[in-house]
Amino acid sequence: MFPKQNDKLQVMSHAVVGFPTLDENEKAIAGLVNSGVNLIELQVPFSDPVADGHTLVNACYDALKTGGSVRATLELCANVSKQHPDASFILMSYLNPLYRYGLEKLFRDAAAAGFKGMIIPDMPVEQFEPHMALLDELGLAPILMVTPNTPDERVARIARSARGMVYVVSRMGVTGKQTQWGDEFRAYVDRIRKHTDLPLAIGFGVRSADDLKALTGTAEVAAFCSKYIEWQREDGSDVAAQKMRALITDAELA
Amino acid sequence: MIRSENGYFGEFGGRYVPEILLPALTELETMFHELRDDPTFWQEYVDLCQEFSGRPTPLTPLHRLSKQLGGAQIWLKREDLNHSGAHKINNVLGQGLLVKRMGKKRIIAETGAGQHGLATAIMAARMGLQATIYMGADDIERQYSNVFWMRQLGSEVVGVTTGARTLKEALDEALRDWAASVETTHYVLGTACGPAPFPELVTYFQSVISQEIREQAMKQMGRLPDEVVACVGGGSNALGAFSAFIDDKDVALVGVEAGGLSHKKGEHSIRMLPDTAEPGIAQGYKTLFLQDEDGQLGDTHSIAAGLDYVGVSPILAHLSQTGRVTPESATDVEVTEAFSLLMKTEGIIPALESSHGLAGGFKRAKSMRPDQHIVINLSGRGDKDIFNIARAFPQQEWSEFLMREAARCQQLVNDAAKENN
Ligand SMILES: Cc1ncc(COP(=O)(O)O)c(C=O)c1O
Repeated sequence: MFPKQNDKLQVMSHAVVGFPTLDENEKAIAGLVNSGVNLIELQVPFSDPVADGHTLVNACYDALKTGGSVRATLELCANVSKQHPDASFILMSYLNPLYRYGLEKLFRDAAAAGFKGMIIPDMPVEQFEPHMALLDELGLAPILMVTPNTPDERVARIARSARGMVYVVSRMGVTGKQTQWGDEFRAYVDRIRKHTDLPLAIGFGVRSADDLKALTGTAEVAAFCSKYIEWQREDGSDVAAQKMRALITDAELA
Repeated sequence: MIRSENGYFGEFGGRYVPEILLPALTELETMFHELRDDPTFWQEYVDLCQEFSGRPTPLTPLHRLSKQLGGAQIWLKREDLNHSGAHKINNVLGQGLLVKRMGKKRIIAETGAGQHGLATAIMAARMGLQATIYMGADDIERQYSNVFWMRQLGSEVVGVTTGARTLKEALDEALRDWAASVETTHYVLGTACGPAPFPELVTYFQSVISQEIREQAMKQMGRLPDEVVACVGGGSNALGAFSAFIDDKDVALVGVEAGGLSHKKGEHSIRMLPDTAEPGIAQGYKTLFLQDEDGQLGDTHSIAAGLDYVGVSPILAHLSQTGRVTPESATDVEVTEAFSLLMKTEGIIPALESSHGLAGGFKRAKSMRPDQHIVINLSGRGDKDIFNIARAFPQQEWSEFLMREAARCQQLVNDAAKENN
C-alpha cells in the first residue's frame, strides 16, 4: 500500500506497457520488486504524451508498436499484482485512451485488475471531482499533481480530492531532466505539507543516488522513472534491475 | 459573437492540461475577458491591423470565373493580401497586444504550413521578442521557404522529429516547452484549438474577417451573401470568416476539410464528416479527433501542410453537430485543379490550404443561381507553395534550374569555408 506520512523515503519506478515488449514488462517488474521497489507506475503508452520528455516519449512510440494499450495495461496489472502482492501498482495514463475506454468502466476494471492508484497528468482535479464517490468505493486513489506555480487555494482543492499520496512535480518542465534540490524546493514542499497529511511523492528530475539522498527526510516517495527507462533501453531489463538495486543501496535506502 | 460556456462549446472545448500550465491559461483568460468587451481594445487591434497588415483586405468579385462556372457570383475575401501572406497574422497581432500587456519577452508557436510561424517571427522581430517556432520535420521539407524567412527574421525554428513529424507533434512540443518556460513565455497558439481560452481568443481576433465581409457585402452586393466558404485546418480562418454570420440563418457556412488521397485511414484530414473522427481529449482540449479504438491519435495526410492535423476547433466540432456549419471536403487532386483554375482565370495565386476552400466553393457555386452570392475566404497566398506546385506540375526546366542554383549555393558555402580556414 501507500506509505504513511514521515515513513522513510521509498523509490517509485516505472514501466511503459509494451516497452521494450509486453513479455519483457513482467520480467522487468519482477526485477524492480527484487531490487526493493514496491511502488510501480504502469504507463499506458500514448501518441501525444505532452508532459513527458524524450525518454518517455520515445518509449511510448516504441510501446505502441509492440501492442501497448489500455487493455494490455489492465492485463499486465492483473498478472503482476498477483505475482507481487506486496507491491502497489499505479496506473499512469494520459486521458484520451482512458476516455475512449469509458472512464467509469476503466475505474472499475483498473480496481479489479489490482491497481491502487492513478496518475493522469492531463486530467485536472475538476474532472476528478464528480467521480470521487466511485473512486473511494473502489479504493482507487487519484494521485493528483501539484506544481511549483500552483496557487495555495488550488493546492487546497487538489488536496481535498487527492488520495494515497500527492505527486509533487519538483520543477517546471517535463519529465527527464535534472532538478536542483535547494532551499526554494524545500520551501515549496513545506507549502504543500500545510495542505495535506498524505505522503508526498516527488517526481521529475530524480536521476541519481545523490538525488535520493537529498530527498530523504523531505518526502516519502521519489519517482525514479525516466532514468530507469534509459537504463532499460541501453542495458536491458536485467542490468536495469541490478542498477536499481545498487542505486537503492548507494542511497542508503535498502 | 461566439462565446463559450466556461470554455465549452456544447460538449467540446475545456482545458485538459498538466497542472503546470493552468495558472498561465487562467491569467490569459482573465485578461481576455477584461479586454474583449472593451471597444477601445478592439479599436487598438483594428488600427494595428490597418497600419501593419493593410486591413481591411478587399472583397474581390470573380467576374470571369463566375461566368465560366455558370452558377453563383463568386467573391474572394483576400486574406492573402495580409502582410506575411495569410490570415494567421491577424491572430498573431492580437496576441502581440496581450504579450505587451503581460510583459513577457519570449514567445513560442507551433506551425504547420509555416504561415503562423512566419507571422509570429514577424511579430517577434517588430516587438523585439525572442521567438522559438516548433515545426514538424516533414513540414519543414514541405514549406522550406517559410522556414528560411523565419530564420532570417531572427527566430529559432526547431524541427520536431517524433511521430508523424507534422503539426500535431509541433503542438505537443510547444506545450512541452511552455511547461518549462510558462512564467516568462507566451504561447502564441496559431489556430482555434487547444485549451481554453485559445479557441475563443483566436476566433475573437480572426472575427475581423467576417466583420469586414459583412460591411463589404452590404456595399458591394447590397445584401448579405448566401454562403460563406472556408478551408478548415484547425479552424481559425473558417471561424474568422463565419463568426459575424452565426446568427444570420440565411447565410450558409461551409467548412472544407482536406480529403487528401482517399477516405482511407491516414490518407486524409477530415474530422467533421461521419465515420471519420470521434470525440476525444488530447492536446489540452476535447474535440473530434482522428484516432483509433485505443484513443491513440491517428495519422493524417493533406497536400497542404496547414490542414494536415488530427483535431479541429471545438467550436467547429460543435457547430457541425448542431448543423450550423456544413462540413465538406476536397481531395488533393481537386485542390490542385482549383488552384490552377483560379490562377489562370483570375490571376490570383492561392495557398494550397485556401485552395480547398476554392475547390469546395466552386463546386457549390455551380449548383447555385446567378443571382446568388458566395464568398470564399482566400486565407493565404501561394508563394510558399512554389515547390509543391512545381511538383504537382513537373517540368524539366524547373528541376534543371534547381540543380544549377544548388551548385551555385554550394560554391558560395565552400568559398566561405575556405576563407575561414
Ligand atoms: C493559408 C492558410 N490557410 C489555412 C490554414 C489552416 O489553418 P486554420 O484552419 O486555422 O485557418 C493555414 C495553416 O497553416 C494556412 O497557412
